Amino acid sequence: MRVKLWGTRGSVPSPGPETIRYGGNTSCVGVTLSDGSMLALDAGTGIRSLGLALAAEPARLHILLTHLHLDHIQGLVFFAPAFRAQTEIVIWGPASPEASLRDRIARYISAPLSPVEVRELPCDVSFHHCPEAEWEIGPARIRAASVAHRGPTLGYRIDDGGSSLAYIPDHEPALGADLDELEEDWISGLGLARDATLLIHDGQYEDAEYPEHVGWGHSSVSHAISFARRAAAERTLLFHHDPMHSDAQLDELGRRARERWVELGGDASGIDLAMELAEYELPVRAASVAPAT
Amino acid sequence: MTQKPLELILARNLMSALSTPAFLVDEGGVLVFYNEAAGTLLGKRFDELGTVGPEEWGSMFGPFDEDGEPIPYDELPLVIAVRNGRPAHADFEISSVDGTRQRVEASAFPILTAHGSRGAIAVFWPAAASNGTGR
Repeated sequence: MRVKLWGTRGSVPSPGPETIRYGGNTSCVGVTLSDGSMLALDAGTGIRSLGLALAAEPARLHILLTHLHLDHIQGLVFFAPAFRAQTEIVIWGPASPEASLRDRIARYISAPLSPVEVRELPCDVSFHHCPEAEWEIGPARIRAASVAHRGPTLGYRIDDGGSSLAYIPDHEPALGADLDELEEDWISGLGLARDATLLIHDGQYEDAEYPEHVGWGHSSVSHAISFARRAAAERTLLFHHDPMHSDAQLDELGRRARERWVELGGDASGIDLAMELAEYELPVRAASVAPAT
Repeated sequence: MTQKPLELILARNLMSALSTPAFLVDEGGVLVFYNEAAGTLLGKRFDELGTVGPEEWGSMFGPFDEDGEPIPYDELPLVIAVRNGRPAHADFEISSVDGTRQRVEASAFPILTAHGSRGAIAVFWPAAASNGTGR
């Protein structure tokens, strides 16, 4: 499984000289499965670059949306493959009692916010509510579960070739909970992240910023570290960077996160900050890692 | 590890912060949590008791009707909420661990999601502090 980060920023695109290294595009992670199948996790502005980089057009492409906040879907109408008739795009996302996934996405892909409507997209696009049970895409087993954020929001786990990727970009598991004390089965998202080869997790706020953002649906760095330790993930990337955080601030935030990780007994390479365009090759292992339930 | 559904996790987190006695059952009717205030009412903390299966918790602390007779399990608000997916209310007496009886009002409501029922919550209120209207 190959993972490439096309957008690591949270909330709103933040281009500029001060964010050039960690990137200004919003959430999008490209995943190439062991058989070459392509997934996109979220469709923030980063998916525009992903679409342009797809030299050999995949016949079928899956987009797994965690939720429908704008920083996770804004790139959909700028995703080049969506404007090619030969492409089949399968969009997965959270169910809502209010309206179907298609109808909720259509609120963005319609006037006056968009010059095109969903029905005008030349590609073959379909929309699916994620099932509660695990399902398969190509050689991968996919699992989605609701996680603590504002509104219906999913985290994902992808198991392929004996490695696992957990993607929980918008997550506040510490809301009203002590992550160091709580039983594991009572921690939001932990079942997805358990023993993941790579965990991509919300780390939006510095610890000092969190008290003013309690309930906004995001994690402080310390909470993200606590979550990653409880999950025993092999490697964790702090993701969904605050738009106000410059590269220099993120360097410092990352330094302190690594320091804390080591203080708690981890290896310094076990935690890092997500950086736009960074790539990760997850190892192929003989025995598949059984996903936690 | 079997992950609890998010709705139960959030309910527990909220209940943990309340001073109103509150009880949480999962979709199978298993009592999976009650808060400190409920523990005070019952005379036993949840961590001393642990999860309790359906039927069993219904008889642990009563409840009793106005004639002192045990109320059938099927008629408890929490059971109605989780089984029928609708809110329910009742007043009754409960017995704490030391045998003290207290009259309370209980309101229960189901936790329904796009994927169906996740369980139910009941909150208790001392009957003396309310204008109870009976079962």
